[in-house]
Amino acid sequence: MHKLSTIVAVAVSSVLMSACGAAGGAEDPSTSPPSKGASGDTLIVYTNSNADGRAEWLHDEAAKAGFAIEVVGQGGGDTTNKIMAERGNPVADVVFGLNHMYFSTLVAGDALEPYEPSWSGDVDADLADPSGDGNFWPLVQQGIVLAYNAEVFSPEEAPQNWTDLWNDERFDGRYESVEGLGGATTQLIFAGILDDYKDPEGDLGISDEGWAQIEGYFEHGSTVVPEKDLYLRIAEGEVDMGQMFTSGIPSRETEFGVDSEIMRPEHGIPFAVEQIAVVKGTDQAERAHEFIDWFGSAETQTAWSAEFDSMPVNKGAIANADPAIVKFHEELKQQEIDWSFAAEHIASWIEKVELEYVP
Amino acid sequence: MIRYENIEVTFGDFVAIPQLNLEVAEGEFFTLLGPSGCGKTTALRTLAGFIEPSRGDIHVDGRVVTRLRSDQRRVGMVFQNYALFPSMNVWENIAFGLKVRKENKTERERLVREIARRVDLSEEQLEKNLAELSGGQQQRVAIARALVLQPKILLLDEPLSNLDAKLRHQLRGQLKELQSEFGITTVYVTHDQDEALTMSDRIAVFNKGRIEQVGTPQEIYDSSASEFVCTFIGEASPLTPEFIVALDPATCGLDTRRSSYLRLEKVALLTPGVQMAPGYRAVEGIVESASYHGLHTIFTITAHGARVQVLFKEDGQERPEVGERAVLALDPRHVLQYERDDAPVPGGHHPVAAQR
Amino acid sequence: MSRTPVRTMVRSPFVLVVGVILTWFVAAFLVWPNANLLIETFFPGGKFSGRAVEKLTSSDRAMKSLFNSFLLAVTLAITTNIVGVFIVLVTKYFDIRGARILWFGYATTFIYGGIVLAAGYKFVYGESGIVTGALLGVFPGLDPNWFTGYFAVLTVMTFATTTNHMLFLSSSLAKVDHQTIEAAQNMGAGTFTILFRVVLPMLRPMLFATTILSFLTGLGALSAPQVLGGRDFQTITPMILTFAGSPTSRDLAALLAVVLGVATILMLAIMGKLEKGGTYFSLSRVSTSLARQKITNPLANAVVHGVAYVLFVIYLVPVVLIILYSFVDSRTIQSGTFSIDKMSLANYGRVLGHGASLRPFLVSVVYSAAAAVIVVGGLLFVTRILSKYRNWLTTVFEYLLHIPWILPAAMIALGLIMSYDHPNPLVGTFVLTGTTVILLIAFVVVKIPFTLRLLKASFASVNASLEEAATLMGASSLYTFRRILFPAVLPVAAAVLALNFNSLLDDYDTAVFLAHPLFQPLGLVIKANTDGAASLDARANTFVYTVLLMVITGLTMYLVYGRATATGKRRARLRVPVPVSLPADEATS
Repeated sequence: MHKLSTIVAVAVSSVLMSACGAAGGAEDPSTSPPSKGASGDTLIVYTNSNADGRAEWLHDEAAKAGFAIEVVGQGGGDTTNKIMAERGNPVADVVFGLNHMYFSTLVAGDALEPYEPSWSGDVDADLADPSGDGNFWPLVQQGIVLAYNAEVFSPEEAPQNWTDLWNDERFDGRYESVEGLGGATTQLIFAGILDDYKDPEGDLGISDEGWAQIEGYFEHGSTVVPEKDLYLRIAEGEVDMGQMFTSGIPSRETEFGVDSEIMRPEHGIPFAVEQIAVVKGTDQAERAHEFIDWFGSAETQTAWSAEFDSMPVNKGAIANADPAIVKFHEELKQQEIDWSFAAEHIASWIEKVELEYVP
Repeated sequence: MIRYENIEVTFGDFVAIPQLNLEVAEGEFFTLLGPSGCGKTTALRTLAGFIEPSRGDIHVDGRVVTRLRSDQRRVGMVFQNYALFPSMNVWENIAFGLKVRKENKTERERLVREIARRVDLSEEQLEKNLAELSGGQQQRVAIARALVLQPKILLLDEPLSNLDAKLRHQLRGQLKELQSEFGITTVYVTHDQDEALTMSDRIAVFNKGRIEQVGTPQEIYDSSASEFVCTFIGEASPLTPEFIVALDPATCGLDTRRSSYLRLEKVALLTPGVQMAPGYRAVEGIVESASYHGLHTIFTITAHGARVQVLFKEDGQERPEVGERAVLALDPRHVLQYERDDAPVPGGHHPVAAQR
Repeated sequence: MSRTPVRTMVRSPFVLVVGVILTWFVAAFLVWPNANLLIETFFPGGKFSGRAVEKLTSSDRAMKSLFNSFLLAVTLAITTNIVGVFIVLVTKYFDIRGARILWFGYATTFIYGGIVLAAGYKFVYGESGIVTGALLGVFPGLDPNWFTGYFAVLTVMTFATTTNHMLFLSSSLAKVDHQTIEAAQNMGAGTFTILFRVVLPMLRPMLFATTILSFLTGLGALSAPQVLGGRDFQTITPMILTFAGSPTSRDLAALLAVVLGVATILMLAIMGKLEKGGTYFSLSRVSTSLARQKITNPLANAVVHGVAYVLFVIYLVPVVLIILYSFVDSRTIQSGTFSIDKMSLANYGRVLGHGASLRPFLVSVVYSAAAAVIVVGGLLFVTRILSKYRNWLTTVFEYLLHIPWILPAAMIALGLIMSYDHPNPLVGTFVLTGTTVILLIAFVVVKIPFTLRLLKASFASVNASLEEAATLMGASSLYTFRRILFPAVLPVAAAVLALNFNSLLDDYDTAVFLAHPLFQPLGLVIKANTDGAASLDARANTFVYTVLLMVITGLTMYLVYGRATATGKRRARLRVPVPVSLPADEATS
């Protein structure tokens, strides 16, 4: 059996190699089948930030800079779980794109190797590892907001806080509530809401009033429609608002012809800061460090921002980025969230919400 | 009782039966005999109502039934493989038709019990699953299932072909017994001439969709109306023209130009010193082979280019060895002659074309 | 079948070799990883934790979802059988005009399923669907969301899961002796009496089998409830998948999975008991092949024709829409507005545009083919032994080989990682995580129970005297196997191979944990490109991938079934029996 599988594995790789040769050869990364966990010369990069051509862009740009990389793109939760599961024999060398909450989970699971990149001085230390151990470093930031249809509400009429949605009957059934709690955006919103209701006596560190908010969120929301974009629902008048990440707004406004505005709560909005780190157990730590130094540099981040409308963290890149994007993000007030507290509890919060509150 | 009138059956372009005319009398055990693909089963299934003829009519009891559904013709059928319902037990199989007919429960019970008794199925067997029954018992279930509806005609489609030789022999007798006990008009399809000869009142021999001959078993055998019937039924050795010449054809009305056959029991080995019966002729030959069967031996004698088989009763008399000379004794009247085109000889004093 | 003592059995070198390999494989990849996972989950730190039970029983949502899953399983088992039997009858039993065309419509479920199928139905009956639009024209008061909840989920799943009927019930029906039908006609039974009293009872073993498979499908329902269930009808599998991903909630996933697993086993046991004594071997050596039955009552005939063609349209429309929609942009897809002038090849260009885009297809094809070949090839040997020898040992093995039916694929993957991310004596000194082999192992493991059941039935139907004849002529057991038994079970093996291959092609649940970064199968790529949050083109990409998958699976089915139907002679050989009972029950038959 084992011999058979080996044969098959060899067959797999040989077929693929020939296929790649046929498909376009040189651009393909090393195709030598690695016999052991980590790969030979190729850096394995795990990320959730791979869509819309990001993976291909990164692969090509890194190659120009002399890095042979293979991008493995999966959702944030899946990427985190995969790294945790592979701790015994890590496959990835570098991970980036996850927000600090996921990274905190990885830190708690002892899956990361601390490294201080050459550009560490160019980023806001507040956005990096809150523990101060420098386990992970920020690349890109974006706000997690409530976007609403500007034609329906003026900024004054619009909700001023998440809790208004279920406490003010004007908004009853007019906002989209998300039941799939695996997504990073949703988790950050919950973290943001629950952060106001910390109570050491309460269940999972949250007061009863806090849990009542969660109940209200589901009770008064209009359930998300699978495979149907929020902005389409807004365009069709099904709902007037819903959660969104800032970098997703411009393209959707154009695509669906919706003029949207975002809610600006007094205490700010949660920021998702995409981070980068070295995976513990990599057999090419030095190469991984060089890659991180290159990827987080002002130059690369400027190009990344220009390509994908993202708001960089690196000060040098901010200076060169699209002023409209920079202005928009600088006007956003970042909510102060106790990230270590949130990271510690988020899994059990989600479990509780799944079990008790999701309708 | 049953009359096929100008029946034609076609399957697409293929004409299975070009024109069939046949009558079966009340209470008869009538057999349709022929090799596979000869149209005998088609003829039976046309009578059963599974095949609609493209032309002609079928009469049962003086009534035209050609367009009637199978169950409206009051014919019971036993299929080649019995076609018992495997999902039902013996009782349920027999009672099926009664249930369909909506007989009430007590009547059903009574009829099933009665028919089971008559075909010799025990109470215990009635509760059994079909898989637990022997081939013979299954056959009795199939017959009971057909007879319980009190049909006017029983159709049997090669019901013995499915069984091993010994059981086949045994059931032949039982089947015939059952038929005579019930006295029901029965049409029986088989390709086994032995079966046909032993069981039937009358036989119709089929070939390529046509009837070659209709008659009693004896007529069919002794006076085969065509070369096909002659060779299909029983054993017959083809004779050469030279052999016929040796019989002095002019004196006995034989014609050397025709196909000639001799049945193996109609010829004997002439024991030296024994007087030949009057009218018999002697023909010399060489013993080519002998196959011993205990009761008898079949010799093959080569004479005038013909390989003549001879049935030799092993009653203690002296027998020739292979390679020895032997003398055949036969009555020229027993030689069966046919025109080359299969048509019986016109005006010949034999064979007799029985019912043509 | 007679019992063979273990001691006699192991005297055969063939049995010994296969037995040793099997023992190792079962221990290393079925028992240990899963036991390891369950122990870690329920006995963290060596002490039993009842947390999961407590959490789940106090959760209304979990209990409701669990109830819904069971409700769906039970009702689906009924409705699928009704529709499945009907479509098999109109395509293979009754004399229906255009039966062949109808067959192609009903066979669309062979080539697509899951979330896309559910979405396809939503296009037709959802709030902006064609049918809803038409209905609103007639009944202005109708709720545009009428097609949601239990009714919608049940309807869609009923139509989506008739594949088993099309494959297995059809082949069972083909084996019905036509003479039994004529016998019933001769005794005065009408079209429907014959159908319900004679024909369907003969199909009972297969109907038990399809009932079980439908029950399992309902129990594990995932995409249809997600897309169409709405608030009131959510099922348990999405919850299991959510919890399986999170290390701290994994015990909940495991517990729920075990509940479903136990229900599965119970169902198998019950069906096994019911089925006992119900396997109808053909009594005769001669059976005549089935001829299509005319429906004599003109009204009934018209009704059956009508229903058959309505079903045909129901089956076909979602597929046609998916194919059409794969040529338009996401916006058009989402809003459900369609017109010819919006069609373009842009989506295909995007998905297949760059050089590396064919690679995931190749990876998946190679992995799926390899796994399908290994699992069918290996189990041919194993099943041969299990069906030839009956004793406590083979019974134990047979039960062990059903383990993958108890746990969802994601958990099996986790068990493998947990057990082989460090050198483990069971697999030599190799570390399996991070290699290309581990995904292959997982693929093989998840396909074992299904393959085993089908192959076993197939072996059971091989005439025992064939084998005895070969042995008498001095053939070794391996030679007999290769030249006599293997050809006899080949048609079934080929069918199972194709079904396994197709179902592994777009696997996500195992690949997400086990895939090697350099050899990522299609499932991961599809997910990455179709994730709604990630990209506006996601929706269009989904359709493109679906159409491409339809092409591959359609081709596979054609290679196995389609060519065979071209010649009637070969079609007769491709009859796949389905088996359901448990080993204990079979031992007595």
